[in-house]
Amino acid sequence: MPKHIASGLKYLAAVKLKDAGKSHQAIADELGVDRSTISHYLNGRNLSWNSIDVARTIIDLTPRDFLRMTEAIFDEPEQSRKIVNICRERNFEVIIEDSCIGCGLCVNACTMQAISLESLQAHADSIQCCGCELCSEDCPTNSIKILEIEYD
Amino acid sequence: MIRNLKEVKDNNFDITRDAEEVRNLSFNDSTCLGCGICESTCPVEAITLNAIAVDARHRTFNDVYFSGHEKIAQNFKEEFDVQRISIDESKCVLCGMCSGLCPVDALVLTIDGTPIKEIDAYPHYNAFSEIDDDECIYCKRCEIACPRDAIVIERILPNRADLVTGEIEVDDDECIYCGVCEELCPAEAIVVDKETGKESIVIDKDKCVYCLVCKKACPTTAIKAVCRSCSYGEYDLDPANAVVKGNSVIDSELCVFCGWCEGVCPTDAAKHKKPFEGSIEIDDEKCQACGACVDICGCNALAFPVSSGPGSRMEHVIANGDYCVKCKACAKACPNGAITVKRTEIDHTPISSTTWKEALDAIKD
Repeated sequence: MPKHIASGLKYLAAVKLKDAGKSHQAIADELGVDRSTISHYLNGRNLSWNSIDVARTIIDLTPRDFLRMTEAIFDEPEQSRKIVNICRERNFEVIIEDSCIGCGLCVNACTMQAISLESLQAHADSIQCCGCELCSEDCPTNSIKILEIEYD
Repeated sequence: MIRNLKEVKDNNFDITRDAEEVRNLSFNDSTCLGCGICESTCPVEAITLNAIAVDARHRTFNDVYFSGHEKIAQNFKEEFDVQRISIDESKCVLCGMCSGLCPVDALVLTIDGTPIKEIDAYPHYNAFSEIDDDECIYCKRCEIACPRDAIVIERILPNRADLVTGEIEVDDDECIYCGVCEELCPAEAIVVDKETGKESIVIDKDKCVYCLVCKKACPTTAIKAVCRSCSYGEYDLDPANAVVKGNSVIDSELCVFCGWCEGVCPTDAAKHKKPFEGSIEIDDEKCQACGACVDICGCNALAFPVSSGPGSRMEHVIANGDYCVKCKACAKACPNGAITVKRTEIDHTPISSTTWKEALDAIKD
């Protein structure tokens, strides 16, 4: 069953990448799947529509639940990172204030590997942020603010 | 959240977080000055300076030396199982601020095995102590004065035979093997076997200093000796052979940069620089001569004047600002608030992080 949901998420990721104008081969490389499988996906074959519904529901969960579920479904952290990044509908901006002490807890907390330490200060790559707020929850000095970007 | 692991050994402990990088904070109790900078600096209030810090040094290393203390000391056990500071590992985030601001190496944070004082991004105090072997005469004054036993001087003495010159021999026909020379010889260079039938006398020329005591005391005239330098000067001695050689080592983990080594050095060999500059003042009115400050001072910078006689009242304590590192441990220990220590300058490497800069500024007066 989790495998089916994983396929559902991959299907949705493939559709998004295709909408972004990527070729079947590029999508296959990105998702680590055979090119023929991608072609099957995109032609609506070999996949239960129910799995895709479940996958869609997962993507619509809160950012943290979406991340947690995806991590549970995929064995490889690398893969779940990719799926979350491609499928998430919301974008965030991470602001790290000067009160940061450079303890590195956020670096450990961030599954998306969006945060790094540089000169005793955490730096975040907002493009990688999935909005789960695990980092700000762990921050001992409350220095991380995550804002959602809304496009008009 | 990844949990910290704490490993305690005697009064020392390690706190470790093993994630993307391995962070380890280790505490070395014997190096700790008890200054409490870590306690006031910790951004998550995980550190407590224990009351034991106030008298631990006195009770573990010194005998009781004030009459009042003897009574107090009876209430304590001989062994102490309490360390100077405690860190709550469930609160500690291993940011390393305590380590970065610790004026000695009592708290050391390592990241993937590298101490933060070797990582440029972290601030370090510009403090040092060194002994220049070219200037050092290996007199060991610094080794004795060092309050932390951080200095080891290994000296290699010249051969005694290279410092004196002379001739000595025994006329076996005249020697009666009485052993007077053996007993008198200050250099223990003579061995006489007095046993009948086995009589012998041997003079070790490496030990003999040609003082001629044996010759003068000999009841017969068996010993013929002459000190050449008395007769002709030291013409056959090479001054190069008379030099004391050696090497000096300062244990950087124990050194607190107090400057005693430089203060007692008769040459210009010992040099130091303290991490803090400032002042120390004692309020003579408030000091009740309890000695808590003397006990905690890691630099031997505080002392009582020598008693003027039995029954005389203990005078107030005296501070020697030259050897004070302005750590403020004494001011914290004083029950009467009689000591005022001011830290006016902190010499540290440049730092870009705002919070770390603020933390360093916060320990300055």
